[in-house]
Amino acid sequence: MLSIILLSIFGIVVLFLGFQKSKNILLPATLLCIAIAFAANFVHWNDAPGLYFKEMLFENRLTMSFSAIVLLSAFLVVALTRGFADDEAAQPAEYYAIILFSLVGAIMMIGFDNLIMLFLGVEILSVSMYVLTGSDKRNLRSNEAALKYFLMGAFATGIMLFGIALLYGATGSFNLTDIRGYVGTNSFSISTLLYVGLLLVLIGMLFKVSAAPFHFWTPDVYDGAPTVFTAFMSTIVKTAGFAAIYRLLSGSFEGIYNFWWFTLAAITILTLVVGNITAVYQQSFKRMMAYSSISHAGYLLLSLTAMTAQTPDAIVFYSLAYSLATVSAFGVLMAVAREKSVQSHENAEDFEAFNGLGKRNPLLAFVLTVSMLSLAGIPLTAGFWGKFFIFGTIVERGNLIWMLIVAILMSAVGIYYYFKVIIATYMKDGETGALRVPPFYRIVLIVSTTLTLLFGLIPKLLS
Amino acid sequence: MVYDILYFNKHHTSYTIHHTPYTTHHTPHTPYIIHQDFKTMADKLFYFLSFLALLSAMMVVTAKNPIHSVLYLILTFFCLSGHYVLLNAQFVAVVNIIVYAGAIMVLFLFVIMFLNLKQDDEEAKTNLTKIAATIVGGTLGVILVAVFRKAQLGTYNPYSFNSQVGMVENLGEVLYNDYLLPFELASVLFLIAMVGAVMLAKREVGDRHF
Repeated sequence: MLSIILLSIFGIVVLFLGFQKSKNILLPATLLCIAIAFAANFVHWNDAPGLYFKEMLFENRLTMSFSAIVLLSAFLVVALTRGFADDEAAQPAEYYAIILFSLVGAIMMIGFDNLIMLFLGVEILSVSMYVLTGSDKRNLRSNEAALKYFLMGAFATGIMLFGIALLYGATGSFNLTDIRGYVGTNSFSISTLLYVGLLLVLIGMLFKVSAAPFHFWTPDVYDGAPTVFTAFMSTIVKTAGFAAIYRLLSGSFEGIYNFWWFTLAAITILTLVVGNITAVYQQSFKRMMAYSSISHAGYLLLSLTAMTAQTPDAIVFYSLAYSLATVSAFGVLMAVAREKSVQSHENAEDFEAFNGLGKRNPLLAFVLTVSMLSLAGIPLTAGFWGKFFIFGTIVERGNLIWMLIVAILMSAVGIYYYFKVIIATYMKDGETGALRVPPFYRIVLIVSTTLTLLFGLIPKLLS
Repeated sequence: MVYDILYFNKHHTSYTIHHTPYTTHHTPHTPYIIHQDFKTMADKLFYFLSFLALLSAMMVVTAKNPIHSVLYLILTFFCLSGHYVLLNAQFVAVVNIIVYAGAIMVLFLFVIMFLNLKQDDEEAKTNLTKIAATIVGGTLGVILVAVFRKAQLGTYNPYSFNSQVGMVENLGEVLYNDYLLPFELASVLFLIAMVGAVMLAKREVGDRHF
């Protein structure tokens, strides 16, 4: 709650810092802002769960954990932007301000208790993403990605808004608690508007987290956006989106689980199959990561479909593991692709870019390997425990074992394409000559890799 | 006067849903029966506005000329404002005309005139896409129609209903008390939109000229 106010103010402060001649202060200032917000996030950690601002925001340990994950990944991604703004007449102050403002939207989505807050949060986050996707103005693919994302995203928001209107029509309230009360007291005479409203809101939200069949924008947008912002999108938007879906379903609609579980189960299976099978055929690493992010949305949906008491913990752990691994993977890609794009512009982001990386820079190769292993869910990494907890919730639900079988098969497919990257790194010969990485980069990558391994060895650390 | 508005509001919920008891049998013992002529007028107005709104919305989609499309959209917004007045939301009705029909649509018109779209620039869709889109859209339409036919909207007590609920005073009180946080955070949204628009549209050194 405190972090929302702080980040709104910090965004304006960073905008004004842009008036200064020297642009060097912007990155440390932004990092400091995110760190302060991170600390402020935990101020109410020991308090009882509470509603703030006339029941607009809800805060408990779960929402604080989600906010912490979002802020941590934002910190790591922003740290990777060092050098991003130097080489052109870019306006880094605007980038950083928009990033800070987008975090406000993410935290609103995590802790909303009123559907208006959900809508505003989704819009703040989405509009920032449209702008950041198109921030590489001279790149035609970036322009195309931004336009595509904007048109489709605006349409999805419209559908979600229609759903919210129908929910209001059925229950007479925007409040999650009131809607829960309506569902609980009228369990035999629930208005049909509520069902359609719930489905439309879910469609809008599932679009934002790129679940199949609402995933068609993902590969193009992830591919076209500058790599930093692809990393930002695939970690923060996804974490906040799943926190919001969990909050909506558990906060208001647990009483009609029998209505929505099958819809969600069908979307989950479709997402898992489409994401993993299509990822196998990709030549570009960035496109592969886009499809892999779709498949990870599938695993997170798996836990939402189960909706047991363990679901929130599983989602928190999985989001953390996924965010850390994704940040390090994109960090390595940026280090390699930047080196490469100086020499030739074509195919800088293909798998071949990693050829021979094991000899050129062992550190980068190790970071990439750990992140791929974590995404694939190999033991001793955080990703393994993430999948373990997710599958645990499905087992707890009991009657959804068939989904578990599909999910395990699909993670086997996942191992194939993640190992393609590792094989390119160590087995294939590519360019020779050491690859130099700025020290700042190295620190970020080491931190995220260490955290991945730490949570892989001691998963209890988070509880 | 108050009775008029009350009656009119209470009755309005029954226009859209034909299964509420009010339309199926007009109970003669209600005190409102004296306003029979008013009811029919509101009824007619509602159906007229709905017909016009649907017709102009259809024309927005089917019109070949983009400028005609925008003009029909303005007409649609005026019809919707009429509906807002019928629903006792006077402030929203006025704002809808000023902001949507006034500002945004004029902006649309300007942009379309500047872009100077040609008709043969349209991208041809394959038949498969058209069929698929029709099926998907039709399914959603059928679902929505089915839902609205069955839906029972909540009714309210006409005696305790505050007819001034849609006025600026009441709206402001709710906005600045209950909805203060979303109201303030909406400004963050607009700030992002403005900063982003300036950032994307600003011409840089070495930018190509269109």
